[in-house]
Amino acid sequence: MLWDKQHRVEKMLTEYFNRCDNCFKQLEEAFEIYFSEGPADAFHDAVRKVNHIEANCDDLRREIEYLLYGKALLPESRGDLLGLLETYDKLPNIAETVAFLFSCQCLLLPEDLHPAYKDLFQVNIEAYELARRTVDTVMTNPKATLHVTKDVEHKESESDRLERDLIRAIYKRDISMGEKLALKEAVLLMGKISDRAESLADRVAIMAIKRQI
Amino acid sequence: MWQVLSGVFLGWSLGSNDASNVFGTAVASRMVRFWTAAILCSVFVILGAMLEGGAGMETYAGLLENQTSPNLAFAVGFSAAVTVTLMSFLALPVSTSQAVVGAMVMVGVMESTLDTGSLTKIVACWVGTPIGAAAISVVLYFVLGKLLNRANLTVFTYDRYLRWGLLIGGSYGAYALGANNVANVTGPFVGEGMLSTTEACAIGSGAIALGVLTYSRKVMMTVGRDLVQLDAFTALVAILAEAITVHIYAMIGVPVSTSQAIVGAVLGVGLVKGVKTIQLTTLAKILFGWLGTPAISGGITWVFYLLIKSNGVL
Repeated sequence: MLWDKQHRVEKMLTEYFNRCDNCFKQLEEAFEIYFSEGPADAFHDAVRKVNHIEANCDDLRREIEYLLYGKALLPESRGDLLGLLETYDKLPNIAETVAFLFSCQCLLLPEDLHPAYKDLFQVNIEAYELARRTVDTVMTNPKATLHVTKDVEHKESESDRLERDLIRAIYKRDISMGEKLALKEAVLLMGKISDRAESLADRVAIMAIKRQI
Repeated sequence: MWQVLSGVFLGWSLGSNDASNVFGTAVASRMVRFWTAAILCSVFVILGAMLEGGAGMETYAGLLENQTSPNLAFAVGFSAAVTVTLMSFLALPVSTSQAVVGAMVMVGVMESTLDTGSLTKIVACWVGTPIGAAAISVVLYFVLGKLLNRANLTVFTYDRYLRWGLLIGGSYGAYALGANNVANVTGPFVGEGMLSTTEACAIGSGAIALGVLTYSRKVMMTVGRDLVQLDAFTALVAILAEAITVHIYAMIGVPVSTSQAIVGAVLGVGLVKGVKTIQLTTLAKILFGWLGTPAISGGITWVFYLLIKSNGVL
């Protein structure tokens, strides 16, 4: 049928976004364990799950891309969706990278910095959730998209501020430069979640604006 | 009756070339399979010709004041077909309508039967084709754009609407092509009293459909790719503007060039969007279509005329 491919793309995209949501939910679970137990076995198991879900996201993304390259939609819609997927894909990727950083290096955060790291992590998770909302909005009510993208921008700015405060606190500590660099890397990687969420929101905004004639 | 074969040949080449103007975008971007487009195009070409193709036949019949001979009708069809084939081979822009009119005018001049009133009407419509298409595309751009904006379409619904639009627009374009251009194919034979209008419409549209079904894929892919570079909405506006323009001329009864109509439509959208789309080469192509095609076709007809005359078969 004429619209079969389009329906398949729609269904697979929804499934892809849901898998990415699961990836971030798993990341949250992993960090709940980390902040309560440190890099224990349960944490490493949770990180493996993040890795597994991220791989599933990649598989599905490739399937969708092949379907789109098979001329499933109009060239411009195809281009938009391929761009959206490419940008979205960077989010589960960074979730996996953050999880692996803490797991592979068995990174130990100073107890007194836990609240600041928790806040930073939470703000970045919220940035992802807002970016996800922009995607939902562009798929259901494109005219409302620009309002939601503004919220992602604000969240990203909040994350930047928290990152700066945390890095200042790290460099004031009397620890080795190696430890400082390791702690800073964790801050910067967590912050990348909101950076990428903002890039996704920007792309979604362009998709919405492009269809205004 | 064998003389009608020249018209069938011309119809076949017209179908293989002009289908690209109505379904090229959809096929080249693989939104629609070639066979779906070819079948839709063929069906609507035949419908257009049978329902509204008669008016153009009468205009051609009126171009020559008296009936001449079946051999001259053959010469007209064959000269036009040779012109179209030759110019396609040389990759020069060509309009079947202008080739046929050039041939008929030459016959009219040689036989002193040319009706200048009909000729003036035809030439005025040629000039009006790209200009009219441009004006219609400007209006359509604003009206359809407003409707789409109001609809608040998502990427998928926008895609679906535009694809339906391109299918419907392409089918309408095919209908207009049949209604307008069938006269080019078998019109001269009605003027010579060899075919009734209905017979001419049936044979002519059948020949065009045959050209669409057997040899249009390559041209659709080539011409379509140029149009695909427009976004889907602009392509839809251009195809609809072309179809409306060509249909209007079908109702007036003047066969015009679908290629020039679509060029005019694209220029119209370009003007609205403020894009610098008016290129000298495009204007030169249109001018060549107006002057060069009828001149070459007239020249070939002149040679045929002399051959026929010297062999005493007139």
